[in-house]
Amino acid sequence: MSEQRHPPYAASCPDCDVDLESDAPNEIVDFYRRHHRVTGHDVAFTRIDPALGEAVDEDDLDEVYTLADVVAQLEGEYDDGAPIGAVAAAMSERGTSLGETLEEVHEIRMNGALYEPRDDHLRAF
Amino acid sequence: MTQWEQARTETVSPDITEPTNALPARYFTDPEIFELEKEKIFGQYWVYAGHANTIADQGRYFTRTVGDRELVVRRGEDGDVRAFENFSARTGEPVVDETPMTDAGRVDATELEDAEEVRVDSIGPLLFVNLSDDPMALAEQAGVMKERLEALPLGEYEHGCRIASEVECNWKVFAGNYSECDHCQANHQDWIKGIELNDSELEVNDYHWVLHYTHDAEVEDELRIHDAREAQFHYLWPNFTINMYGTADGYGTYIIDPIDTGRFRLIADYYFRDGDLSEEEREFVRTSRQLQEEDFELVERQWAGLKTGALAQAQLGPNEHTVHRLHQLAQEAYDA
Repeated sequence: MSEQRHPPYAASCPDCDVDLESDAPNEIVDFYRRHHRVTGHDVAFTRIDPALGEAVDEDDLDEVYTLADVVAQLEGEYDDGAPIGAVAAAMSERGTSLGETLEEVHEIRMNGALYEPRDDHLRAF
Repeated sequence: MTQWEQARTETVSPDITEPTNALPARYFTDPEIFELEKEKIFGQYWVYAGHANTIADQGRYFTRTVGDRELVVRRGEDGDVRAFENFSARTGEPVVDETPMTDAGRVDATELEDAEEVRVDSIGPLLFVNLSDDPMALAEQAGVMKERLEALPLGEYEHGCRIASEVECNWKVFAGNYSECDHCQANHQDWIKGIELNDSELEVNDYHWVLHYTHDAEVEDELRIHDAREAQFHYLWPNFTINMYGTADGYGTYIIDPIDTGRFRLIADYYFRDGDLSEEEREFVRTSRQLQEEDFELVERQWAGLKTGALAQAQLGPNEHTVHRLHQLAQEAYDA
């Protein structure tokens, strides 16, 4: 019997019976945006790529606590910026919801400390 | 058809010679126009390629894509900079991999022997390329900008950092937004506090315009490389700007690089006395980035509106003669 492969990311709405699994963390963000627009609900990660946790935890965890720090650590793992979904997943491990992360990303971007080398991918300045 | 639709979907005028007439909306949204621009704009005019200090040593090069054509810009053994198509006629392959000027590579001259040469000229350390068989001189396209910039010690400044952002908007929408300041009062509320808008001026030349922003008397603007007590934002058609700040000993350049009809990349480079940014210079760049993000949000909204097709042609305001010049140059290029 073959073991079923699970995509590395999954999320669900705690208030509704909807969920999504995906290989691409930004698809979880798209799912959140669609769902939030219609229902106003947040969506929570139920699974994240274990490699992501390792990437963020490489340095002393005590030093990694702001969203900009997480982006700065994750961007090295990607050619053209950290996918916003990966940042949201890493932040969810630190107790910040997906919706809260997207709001905070917008706020920090508007202060100039984050930028998008391509759409929905982040780098820290 | 309702009156509302009739009123808004009709082009004001097929050309834009009237000062209040903006370029009709389809020139921003039609993918065929972008293909036309590759030939008629980016294939005809001088386009900024990069900064000579990043290839100071012999054999150093960077690549730059203009329209669909990838170019190699290289410092030769004689010290001169030359540019080539990044394509070997012998092998049918690119000669080098994509290499931004911020990470310049090294290539032997022999590897470019079979590559077609492209025209290069410069304004101080700023390198421009031209893909046309019969271009106007760079001095003509740049006009007074060439003389003014060459009077400044631009070459004494080193590349400090590059921020390249992808924006969902046609490149000309951002170009127009950069070229006027009617939006500044509402959109750049922190920055505008230090500017005396009533004393500021817009200067329009043939292919070049300048926004002269006078600082408020309380702003410390001693740190600058130009004489006037103001910030000077120069736009050179088609897609290059050089930003001379009053509050930092340095300058910035923007390339408004189209990706397709609905996206462009803003490549922002910052130059300071020393290539390593001080804490104050980092803070300065962060403030500049804040202005960019405020503009990105604004132009993406404008773009979303343009795409609806509800407006066939905008009407420009009395302080938008720089934007009008931009739109006129676009139309002249399309009609050529």
